[in-house]
Amino acid sequence: MKRRDFLRIGGLGLCGVGALDLIRAQSLSASNNAKAKQMIVCWLGGGPPHLDMFDMKPESSEDYRGIFRPIDTTVPGLQVGELLPELAKRADKYTVIRSVTTMNKPGDHAQAPLYWLTGNPRLTTGSDEYPMYGSVVNKLRPGPNDLPTFVVLDEIDVHTHNALSRNFLGSAHAPFVMQPLKDKDAVTKMLTPQLELPAFARNTDLLKTLDTRLRRNDTQDEVIAGLDQYQQTAFNLLRSPKLRQALDISKEPTESIERFTRNKPAKARYPIGDPLHFLLARRLIEAGVPVVHFNLGYWDWHGENFTAGKQQIPMFDAGLAALLDDLDERGLLDSTIVLALGEMGRKPKIDKPKETGAGRDHWDYAQFVLAAGGGFNRGCIVGATDKHGEQVVDKFYKIESFGRTLYHLLGIDADTLVHTPANRPVKLIVEDAPIIKEAIL
Amino acid sequence: MLRLLFAALLLLLIGPGWAGAAETSAPSYQRHVTALFGKLGCNGGTCHGAVKGQNGFRLSMFGADPAGDHERLMHEYGGRRLNFSDPESSLLLLKATGQVPHGGGARLKAGSDEHRLLQAWITAGAPADDVAASRVTRLIVSPVEQVMQPGETYRVKVSAEFADGSTEDVTSLCLFESLDQAVATVDRAGVVTGVGVGDAGLIVRYRAQPAAARVLVPRRGASTFPKLVSSNFVDDRILAKLQRLNLLPAELCDDATFLRRVHLDVVGELPTPDEVRAFLADASAHKRAAMIEELLLRPGHADLWTLKFCDLLKAADFGVYADALSKEHDAPRMQAWVRARLNENIPYDEFVERILLATSREGRTMEEYVAEVNALFEGYAPGRPDLELYARRRTLDLFWQRRGSDGVKGTMQVAHAFLGLRIECAQCHRHPHDNWQQEDLLDFANLFMRVRTVGFSDKNEKLFPDAATHFKQMNEEAKRLEADVKQRKEGEGKKLEEDGRKARQEVDKLTAEIARLEKAKGDESDIAKKRELLAVAKEVQTQADNYRQETAARDKRAKQMVEAARRLMQAEARLLDKGENARVTSTLGSRESKTFRLLGEAEPVTVPADRDPRELVMGWMRKPGNPYFARAIVNRVWAHYFGRGIIDPPDNLSAFNPATHPELLKELCDGFIENKFDLRWLHRTILKSRTYQQSSTPAEGSATDRTHYAFFPMRRLPAEVLLDALNTATGTTENMDMKYHHWPDTMSTVQVPFMPQNKFVSFVLETYGRPQRNAAVQCDCERDNSGSIFHVLLLSNHPRVWEKIRDPAGRSARLIKATGDTASKIDDIFLATISRLPTDQERNRCVEFMTSAENPETALQDVLWCLINTREFLLQH
Repeated sequence: MKRRDFLRIGGLGLCGVGALDLIRAQSLSASNNAKAKQMIVCWLGGGPPHLDMFDMKPESSEDYRGIFRPIDTTVPGLQVGELLPELAKRADKYTVIRSVTTMNKPGDHAQAPLYWLTGNPRLTTGSDEYPMYGSVVNKLRPGPNDLPTFVVLDEIDVHTHNALSRNFLGSAHAPFVMQPLKDKDAVTKMLTPQLELPAFARNTDLLKTLDTRLRRNDTQDEVIAGLDQYQQTAFNLLRSPKLRQALDISKEPTESIERFTRNKPAKARYPIGDPLHFLLARRLIEAGVPVVHFNLGYWDWHGENFTAGKQQIPMFDAGLAALLDDLDERGLLDSTIVLALGEMGRKPKIDKPKETGAGRDHWDYAQFVLAAGGGFNRGCIVGATDKHGEQVVDKFYKIESFGRTLYHLLGIDADTLVHTPANRPVKLIVEDAPIIKEAIL
Repeated sequence: MLRLLFAALLLLLIGPGWAGAAETSAPSYQRHVTALFGKLGCNGGTCHGAVKGQNGFRLSMFGADPAGDHERLMHEYGGRRLNFSDPESSLLLLKATGQVPHGGGARLKAGSDEHRLLQAWITAGAPADDVAASRVTRLIVSPVEQVMQPGETYRVKVSAEFADGSTEDVTSLCLFESLDQAVATVDRAGVVTGVGVGDAGLIVRYRAQPAAARVLVPRRGASTFPKLVSSNFVDDRILAKLQRLNLLPAELCDDATFLRRVHLDVVGELPTPDEVRAFLADASAHKRAAMIEELLLRPGHADLWTLKFCDLLKAADFGVYADALSKEHDAPRMQAWVRARLNENIPYDEFVERILLATSREGRTMEEYVAEVNALFEGYAPGRPDLELYARRRTLDLFWQRRGSDGVKGTMQVAHAFLGLRIECAQCHRHPHDNWQQEDLLDFANLFMRVRTVGFSDKNEKLFPDAATHFKQMNEEAKRLEADVKQRKEGEGKKLEEDGRKARQEVDKLTAEIARLEKAKGDESDIAKKRELLAVAKEVQTQADNYRQETAARDKRAKQMVEAARRLMQAEARLLDKGENARVTSTLGSRESKTFRLLGEAEPVTVPADRDPRELVMGWMRKPGNPYFARAIVNRVWAHYFGRGIIDPPDNLSAFNPATHPELLKELCDGFIENKFDLRWLHRTILKSRTYQQSSTPAEGSATDRTHYAFFPMRRLPAEVLLDALNTATGTTENMDMKYHHWPDTMSTVQVPFMPQNKFVSFVLETYGRPQRNAAVQCDCERDNSGSIFHVLLLSNHPRVWEKIRDPAGRSARLIKATGDTASKIDDIFLATISRLPTDQERNRCVEFMTSAENPETALQDVLWCLINTREFLLQH
């Protein structure tokens, strides 16, 4: 049997999930003991090329497989692109899923990110504003009361920007979107006291003596009753050094920072994002922030796919590898989901393959998801695509399954009912779908 | 045959009276079995009533399709759901009792009445029965109103009348819901338990049919209800209900609180310190009434209600594709039109008529309309003269030019905006909490189907030949202009440009030389000669400049002409000769209607071919007996002042969402109609009531009240008003950063037509929940009034807020430089933020804070920081 054929039977053989396990899985309801306490989403907005990274097709013709060669990894049967040597060495830490896709319903840059990041077919307009996973965690299982529960670094997505922060759970559950690497970022400043702590304490003392009038019927109204609690939490957050320290990377040793940034290209064809977001994500997770999301540059490479690949893929490789190492070393990987994915793959058939501008167009029918930690399998492949990498041929799962898998690992029942503004009850993941049993422990 | 015999035998054994519902016959599928499915929640939207059912078993939502449900029960899944030879082992029963794993858990107990009912039905062969005969004609709940004490219980009794004339006690087959569980709870069997003081609606549902009842729980204990002077009938009604509930009303609020409250609510602004001082010093007995009158006439009042109406009318949702409409052009125009009408205070029914019946041409000739469109484009320039032009239009055609304003979706929006109804559920299925069926929505929608859909279509030129003629002419004209521009740029223009460039150099050179010669006291004639040359060079330069400007103007006109032509062709709001049938398609299937019928009316209407069907809608709306039109606006205005509607939520007018004070609502509506739909009459009546002017501090024993206005309910300031208040308090402004779109330099946040570029402003608006104003959400609740830690962080620690506090030209900087002692400065800063003077204790504390500080300037800033972070600042109280 050729290696390719072996791969095609896919997850089953590799991850040791037999038919019996699957049947057992179907009768399992959402478990209460969450494997994942925290989650990091590295969002590759625009859609990274699966054929150049985690779904190599070396036996395809040149106008499909492109110029990057496959390399072996620590997991027998798994090859990755040659620009991912560090992640190849750490393949025993993560799962590669090749069989979840939007199938373009809805797809494209305007809607696919909304679908992937909420687990529901949310549209730009005309559908309910389903919440992101982090917003749901914020509502149902918020973190420590002196930290934000859901932090977005830079922005949610390179095309839809922060449109996803609006959600029907209410503005209270929107993420904290901040750009701590920028000096002038107002939100980062808003989260760190604008006064020295003693002055802040004097002011809050004075505030306490002046804000006495309307405290009598506090418990009667939800909005009013909430004010005290919100003020308490906000002031705790400002007083606490946790967030400030997490965001202050000047405390990080130079050689540590270097591991994240060493492949950062000096010049790049497209916006590349900042590999320091991997480091910031780790520091926020260490501090106790439950969900961290960041967009890592622009991956919509219609032109110069291979130029951009040489610039951005090694940077991604170093950054994610360092993140996985650090989390594992600190014993945090088992309780922290780490995801790297975009909203689509890229077209296997190369556009203008002979020219320098050779690119890969949109592809909403196949892509990869890298998932590590928090109950995801170590060293595992789920699903497979056809010989060109165009269509999923094994273990197809919808986005709903992916979303339900995340909630399952986070210990949140995906059938929990929440209400839209018009008071219609909906489940966290509206559609019923099986969880991706092959991908998890 | 054998099976029937067996069934009859079994029936005899079981005997009658499972649920006390049926007498001696087998349970009826319609009357008992589907009702039970509803009660147990089996056919709910999140269980088997979901689009694809659940785990392979689908029931129609709320039992809307009994025949289909019966079919699926009998025949799907290899017929294993019902086992006639051994009813006990029917999958239906095994699942429902949880004897085999069931995603929905055990819904009923083995051996219960409900279980026996299903068993007996299966035993009888699971017969279906006649749909028509089992249609519910009336559902009667008794008692309709019950007064009780906390801890007491009683059982609701429900009987149903059916189309065949029979009546049956269906209590055990109903679902019960209390609309206020803090007042009374109700259990599965319909037993109501009093919990706390107040009144609660009870909703009873039998199959898809709802009915309502009411529970009243007065406060215990004897207290003398004070003799209070009512300002008007509002107070009569409110006080009567309070007395019935034995809840004591709060005192009247003090003058400073009143002034702040009425300013924020009527004009959306804080009163200035001088206004507060003057009002407090005014000894007149009628000063509150006079203030109300004055504020109602201020432009801020129209601004504030323009904001509200523009939220409701989704006034920023423009531009589909190539229709030459855009948010930047049209949202401010729509806003200007609404503001102009509110300033004129035209009767509300006329206001709505001019929106609902709007057409672009308003009966004018095509030429006149073309001129208007051209002028509007011309007016999209600094100062936005087009806004006034648009505001002079009689009708608001932009309402019908918005995205999604046509067809069934547009109809839902009309129902929401003008009738206070949420009927979007009826798009796909029977409304779960109301009477609306799909037909109701579709029949009503047919009255709007002749309104043309706005947006690019290549069929438009054929459909509208009158517009097409102008469209072609204008495009040709634009082409001519473009050609002309090209020629000017390449021909004469090019030469003139060159001359102009040389002339400019010459001008510079000559100017310098002349200056040099003058300084050196050079030859006069030489200087004069050079001056002549300079004049010539300048003339050439001017000519070149003028020519270039003219070319640019023609270029702009050419581009505008293309846009204007497009707007004319693709976006004119007009009536088609014939509309398509209203139709909805959802995951549950498609449905279509040919009938024209007004909402809630039994009989269809016929529309004469030469009349705009929307006229029928308008005529129906403004009839005094209309159950929705006046109530919707009266209730919304009430909700503006009290944070909740007499019917709440205010956009859910429904027999199953009972009013807390139905008589009051009726009187307000009657008065409103009698006063020719005068909105200011409505505002004035509410504002002048004692109820509105009550303190937010409850009287002894009344603190638990939330729905009866025993005291003034507090609520958070809306996003726009809050930011304006923050600006006023700190003595700063925000430039919206929208010069590119010709916004004026100064503009209050309340006046903002859509999200501006200014990052701080948009951050505040998003954080505090300004609605998106697009057609996707039809709900007053889109304006988010909740709280969050973002709100606290923003006001207490946003760098821009601190900049405002420390602004060198701002309030605290001005105060610190002003004459007067520390105490008077503290007084001023209190007046400017929370609109009252400090108590002695507060003043002393602040003075002490200031004097003990190293730097009095920053100390005053800190006091200002404290005040804008108090509840008194954040809340309407």
